[in-house]
Amino acid sequence: MLEVRGLSVRYDSVIAALEGIDFAASEGRIVALLGPNGAGKSTLLKAVAGMLPFEQGEISAGRVEFGGVSLKGKHPAAITRAGIALVQDGRQCFRNLTVGENLRAASFRHAEGSAERLELVLSYFPILGEFYERPAGFLSGGQLQMLVIGMALMLQPRLLLLDEPSLGLSPVMVQSVFAIVERLHEELGMSVIVAEQTVPRLMEIADDVYVLSRGQVALHAPPQAISEDDLQRLYLS
Amino acid sequence: MFILQLIVAGLAVGSVYAIIALGIVLIYKCSGVVNFAQGGYAMLGAFFTYALTTAGLPSAAALVVSLLLMGVVGALTQTLILRPMLKAPVVAVMMATLGILIIFRAICLLIWGPDQIGFPKLFPDGSIEVGGIFMTYNYVAAFLLSAVLCGAFLAFYRYTPLGLMQRCTADNTRAALAVGIHVSNQVTIAWTASAMLAGLGGSLLASLNGLSLGLSNIGLVAFPVIVLGGMTSLPGAVVAGLILGVLQAVTDGLLTPAIERVLRDYTEIYSVGALQQVIPYALLVVVLLVRPQGIFGSKESERV
Ligand SMILES: Nc1ncnc2c1ncn2[C@@H]1O[C@H](COP(=O)(O)OP(=O)(O)OP(=O)(O)O)[C@@H](O)[C@H]1O
Ligand SMILES: [Mg+2]
Repeated sequence: MLEVRGLSVRYDSVIAALEGIDFAASEGRIVALLGPNGAGKSTLLKAVAGMLPFEQGEISAGRVEFGGVSLKGKHPAAITRAGIALVQDGRQCFRNLTVGENLRAASFRHAEGSAERLELVLSYFPILGEFYERPAGFLSGGQLQMLVIGMALMLQPRLLLLDEPSLGLSPVMVQSVFAIVERLHEELGMSVIVAEQTVPRLMEIADDVYVLSRGQVALHAPPQAISEDDLQRLYLS
Repeated sequence: MFILQLIVAGLAVGSVYAIIALGIVLIYKCSGVVNFAQGGYAMLGAFFTYALTTAGLPSAAALVVSLLLMGVVGALTQTLILRPMLKAPVVAVMMATLGILIIFRAICLLIWGPDQIGFPKLFPDGSIEVGGIFMTYNYVAAFLLSAVLCGAFLAFYRYTPLGLMQRCTADNTRAALAVGIHVSNQVTIAWTASAMLAGLGGSLLASLNGLSLGLSNIGLVAFPVIVLGGMTSLPGAVVAGLILGVLQAVTDGLLTPAIERVLRDYTEIYSVGALQQVIPYALLVVVLLVRPQGIFGSKESERV
């Protein structure tokens, strides 16, 4: 459903962050996007979600297609409407607004059915219901991660992009985040791309693994075919 | 009694400062740009109202049409001049707003000349008396209109979907984009609303003090107001506007005459000039020394 061919991305017209990436995520799959710091994971997700122009980045070559339709040059608003939701790194939400307002803000793009979706989100993350009237800035890291995933769900995506959701979370929290990803995939049939540095748990639920290194695809294989040693080698190179 | 009289008059003028300052805060919140042209928008709005009334429109209609025209001017200046500067540093955009101020002044100079203009009566002559305090209809109307507009605007910002999008944009642009909000449209909306607020404020001020190019200097009074209010707080701007209006009125009515009386008794000096014009900046300096984040501001939160 997502097709990336020969994608190159530059920042500030000079810094090459991605060089000729081929990447695909098919319907109903969980794809792991691995790689060390600065490999280009976030850049790839931003390119798909249309966020690059707002960070002095641009697609200098290649194609990005979702369901056969090109996403190049589209505004993030149009891309969310097409069915892609990006959960950015750093748990980007509206910290001065209440949890409820955060979720409401995420439902403008798909107003119809938003009441049902809110119920769904609150059933996945009961804690958000408990803190509904509180400013999001008061939430802990793990609760914020649930909020931003909840906000992405309000956008009613068919493809969910998660950028380092486990960063800075306790091991227990990491487990529950991935449990949620698995449930979204199984219960809602959602396709998910998860960018992470290293997470054994992610390898267990992923259908397909890409490892990026210095802006290129260093390895593409099913998770069973990738050993701990392979990863070590790629990360150190 | 006299001091109460001054306070009431000060509140009326202060409420007008408040609506002009609200616009600056609105734009600053969602784009980080301090709009130095706000006084220019106020002046332009007053000239529009003047032109429309002299063309024969009743004052209510003139105010409404001028309000709408100012919305158009705000939207146009943002889209034509500032939107192309999307990637420019914020400081460059602020310089552009100074340019807008100069252009507005030049246009008004060309059309209406440099002299003070007798502003048409927007409100009937006469005054009301409550408990010994007199207020002309002019002041009553200025106070009521700005109070209603302030209230309506704050309610819009707090309770409507569009207000929520404004607050999202102000809070975190990256997150706003990711949930599908067109951030640049929100900035245009902020400019539109801000120009309308300024235009009405300018018309009301002109109805109190008369109209000339000098009205654009009101922008300089608005800055102490927003700093006092904490830059990003809309209610803060309102309260600070009221405080400043009252301080100016009391200075003008009590402090200046008192100082001048003392000076006259002991020296050859007869006047201390327009002391009330110095008050905003004196207050600004004091606030910046004691509480740099303003009365209502919080410490600068992380900006992404
Ligand atoms: N806004 C930006 N401006 C300039 N260069 C950038 C920008 N964002 C990323 N880069 C550069 O692009 C390259 C890829 O960065 P990216 O953030 O995609 O890596 P990543 O794989 O997500 O790393 P991490 O695991 O640390 O998040 C890096 O060399 C980085 O310095
Ligand atoms: Mg990253």
